[in-house]
Amino acid sequence: MDALTTFAQLLAGGVLTGLVFALVAVGLTLIYGVMDVVNFAHGEFLMLAMYATLGLALLGLGPLLGLPLVVVAMFLFGIIVYRVFVRRLLAGPPEATVFGTFGLLVLLQGFAQSAFSSDFLSVPNPPFSGTIRFGGLAVAQANVVEGCGALILTALLFAFVEYTETGRAMRAVAEDRIAATLMGIDVQRVNGLAFGIGAGCVGAAGALLMLSYPVYPTAGVPFALTAFVVVALGGFGSISGALVGALLVGLLEVFGGFYLSPELKMVPVYLAYLAIVLLRPQGLLGRR
Amino acid sequence: MSDVVRAETISARPHLFALAAIVVVGLLAAAVLHDAVVLDLAFTLLLYAVLGQSWNWISGYAGNISFGHAIFFGCGAYASALLVTHGLSPWLAFPAGAAAAAVLALVTGFPTLALRGHYFSIATIAVAAIVEALVRTQDWLGRANGFELPIASGWGALQFGGKGPYIVLALALFTAVQLATIGLERSRLGYYLRALRANHAAAAAVGINERNWKLLAFACSAVMASCAGVLYAQYTLFVDPPSTIALPISIDIALVGVVGGIGTLWGPAVGALVYVALAKGVALQIGGSGKGYDLLIYGAIICLIAALRPYGIVGTIVDGLRRRRGAVEVGAA
Amino acid sequence: MPGRRLALALALVLTVTVVPPGAAPAADPPDIIIGSVIPLTGALAQSGAGLRVAQLLAQDLVNGHVSYPLPMVGKSGLPHLGHARIKLVFADSQGKPDQARAAAEQLITQEHAVALIGCYSSSTTATASQVAERYGIPFLNPDSSAPGLTARGLKWFFRTTPSDATFAENFYQFFADLKRTKKVSVKKIAIVGEDGLFGTGASDAEEQLAKKYGYDVVSRIAYTATTTEVNAEVQKVKAAAPDVIMMASYLPDSLLFMRGFKDQSVQPKAIMAQDAGFIDPNFIRTEGKDAEGIFTREVFSLDIKYRNQSVPLINQLFQQRFADKPLDGNTARDFMGVLVLADAIDRAGSTKPDAIRTALQKTNIPGNLTLMPWKSIHFDATGQNVGGVGIIEQIQDGKYETVWPFDVAVREPIWPMPVWTH
Repeated sequence: MDALTTFAQLLAGGVLTGLVFALVAVGLTLIYGVMDVVNFAHGEFLMLAMYATLGLALLGLGPLLGLPLVVVAMFLFGIIVYRVFVRRLLAGPPEATVFGTFGLLVLLQGFAQSAFSSDFLSVPNPPFSGTIRFGGLAVAQANVVEGCGALILTALLFAFVEYTETGRAMRAVAEDRIAATLMGIDVQRVNGLAFGIGAGCVGAAGALLMLSYPVYPTAGVPFALTAFVVVALGGFGSISGALVGALLVGLLEVFGGFYLSPELKMVPVYLAYLAIVLLRPQGLLGRR
Repeated sequence: MSDVVRAETISARPHLFALAAIVVVGLLAAAVLHDAVVLDLAFTLLLYAVLGQSWNWISGYAGNISFGHAIFFGCGAYASALLVTHGLSPWLAFPAGAAAAAVLALVTGFPTLALRGHYFSIATIAVAAIVEALVRTQDWLGRANGFELPIASGWGALQFGGKGPYIVLALALFTAVQLATIGLERSRLGYYLRALRANHAAAAAVGINERNWKLLAFACSAVMASCAGVLYAQYTLFVDPPSTIALPISIDIALVGVVGGIGTLWGPAVGALVYVALAKGVALQIGGSGKGYDLLIYGAIICLIAALRPYGIVGTIVDGLRRRRGAVEVGAA
Repeated sequence: MPGRRLALALALVLTVTVVPPGAAPAADPPDIIIGSVIPLTGALAQSGAGLRVAQLLAQDLVNGHVSYPLPMVGKSGLPHLGHARIKLVFADSQGKPDQARAAAEQLITQEHAVALIGCYSSSTTATASQVAERYGIPFLNPDSSAPGLTARGLKWFFRTTPSDATFAENFYQFFADLKRTKKVSVKKIAIVGEDGLFGTGASDAEEQLAKKYGYDVVSRIAYTATTTEVNAEVQKVKAAAPDVIMMASYLPDSLLFMRGFKDQSVQPKAIMAQDAGFIDPNFIRTEGKDAEGIFTREVFSLDIKYRNQSVPLINQLFQQRFADKPLDGNTARDFMGVLVLADAIDRAGSTKPDAIRTALQKTNIPGNLTLMPWKSIHFDATGQNVGGVGIIEQIQDGKYETVWPFDVAVREPIWPMPVWTH
């Protein structure tokens, strides 16, 4: 296996890894952008979505079929969490959202451990378990499906935010909350929708991830951490930024792992974050 | 707390009395009590109060919330472990760890303290992750195995059979940290930090150099955490990445600060009390089944505090007192 | 005279039946407290729950009167101490070293334990045993495998389980045996392990012994267990083209690697796993046919040529108490740990720590009187049981079958492992 093929394989792996991160990050950046809220429980939302997908799969509804249901369920969950909890946090000082969503993280992890135990659970016989081979390269079918899912989700979300009325309202709130209120936009409703949609996105991510990962109470943590970096890198609130940031992170991680060392593969990622945020504080494609 | 800034500085006397009272009670307890469990709780409480207060300097007073504070704690712990396993005195770990922590804070703070809000918080996670990855790959830092400190006894070795001396040391550290914080509240640094939190632009216009003052606060906070790390290492006799520098430790430290009340003098102490009581109490009552009910309850309580008392316990009390006194309020709404 | 005899008989009856309190002839001796520090909450809670059940089972069997061919079982307590019963008191380590320390201290100072047993994860065992050392209380470790634990020069620390060094040694003994019997040769080894305490210890031991026995370590990879992809790692292994890949991974990462090896057509002669993720119940379920041929070291197996007939019986008793989950390496070792302590305390004939320690040092239990595939339980000067040995299992037809040592194996090893089916 010559160096060029290895490089190409790593490239493919990096892109697919990046797309998986985009899948998780896209919902997060929407919430950031509209509400300036750091949802530290984002990883736990992902974990819940994964458990929900597993549950449906055990009832006979595979991950892809169950995906729409999970998305809807997570959307509703997001709206409820906003109405009952996040709205109150927003009324307090900025720190309140930080440690409030953090409390949510602990609560949800505790809930998962009590309800589901800390066993690793996988979807039995998931679809797309094969390999796609082309030109000397090999990629897992599941990863390709996840990647496509990421692209579709990003495109849908982008279209929503750019071209729909509600999307425009969200951008207005993101840009200037007071002005948006003055223009007659119901900020609370927009916030709730944004939170719900963000949760729905993470629901889609969770469903797709069950094609290749087991779920356990802390399964969301590694994805969430990378997602935070991706979103900051790409620019808070920028959906296209999240995609670009994710791809960058994926490539850095995989190439770092091979040409530097697997143990240190996240170091280039974090260094890149520090560098970009130092030189361009609003992130690659961020607005503020 | 961030949208209300005091125009006047606090008066030190009541706080000094409170501190003195705590010291007296603590010393009595150390001398009279022999229950190892209670003394252990007291030590943990004091340690977390110190860590919470150190975190408070940067995240509360300076307003830059850190989720990577454990690396400074680790500086002290690892300094202790390294010195002792090389046959040197653990007392040297105080200056050595403090120096390492201060340097780390200055180096990482210089580029990132100019950032605001989430960017800084994520930067602290990034830095902490880099530090942890480095520790795990370096042989001389013990990699994943960490260090076990050999058993010794006496003030020279900074290790004791009984708990009393540890409590005394922890009390001393706590007192020093509280005094420093009272000093912070009444000093120019504290005043500038408050001004920065109230209104960045106005403060800059008046010539307050945000970066430099925050760097000072950050370095001090790192040194305090490092000292706590030294005591921890000499008490537990075991130092490895998961128990000293991993993300969950940073999160615990942040929790203590936030639950008690960010930017308040006694917030971290109260937060530590709640944290220790909850963690121990819940674990003892419910813990046996291994089902995670303790996490559930802990999370629920934090959510409740966050939703209903957004200022933290002490913050709410302080705010209530201030409103009753009709104090002058300055700053953005 | 009849009246007198009647009075005498009455007096006798009264004396016998109405015995005043405190005048009872043989009062029950006080329970002997054994402190157990295990993770009852936190990340390792799941495992801790099983360990607790196993230890309690052993306690009940020691205190009971049903006999099995196991040390101290069925003697209604400790005969040399007036049939005093042993009583386990548990304290939660939460899987954290500082909590384990506090727990050990609590058990010694408040519960007055005469000996401690624990603590599963090596970092918690390290601190808890240091507490025991300070207080001069014997500490028995049945289940932590970090080699360094017996290299600390502690005098009160005893470990029954083999360490990672032994387990790595087993791999190389297996290779040597294969070479002898099947003319199989292994030259190039790739060592892959997660970068925590478990993986580092296992990988270090594997690498050290590889060099000692003259094998060529063509790749040594450490990665963080929580990683979400292993592209680079797999490519590195592939580039090294090893004969054998040694893995020390947890479940999620083991699945990632298996997937990666299959997709990238990394085809070694064998994959040798160090337990953990590879023996998780979910592993075979998820991997299906791809799991065939994977070797893993184990400490215990129910499918083994028993030298001790009580294995299935103990397994049954355990399952009744623990939701039908079978006995495994961890629970079997903890079960035996309690028996070893009971044996030592009984031989000491006293609850004084020094006496118990001396008795522990003289422990000599033949392997066939244990549940384990061990040669014996006998501690060397560092407190390590030198009679311990692991076994190697191979996944065949969807089950873990013992294939080494050959004298307890139930199946022949399949070598090389089957080619990946696409």
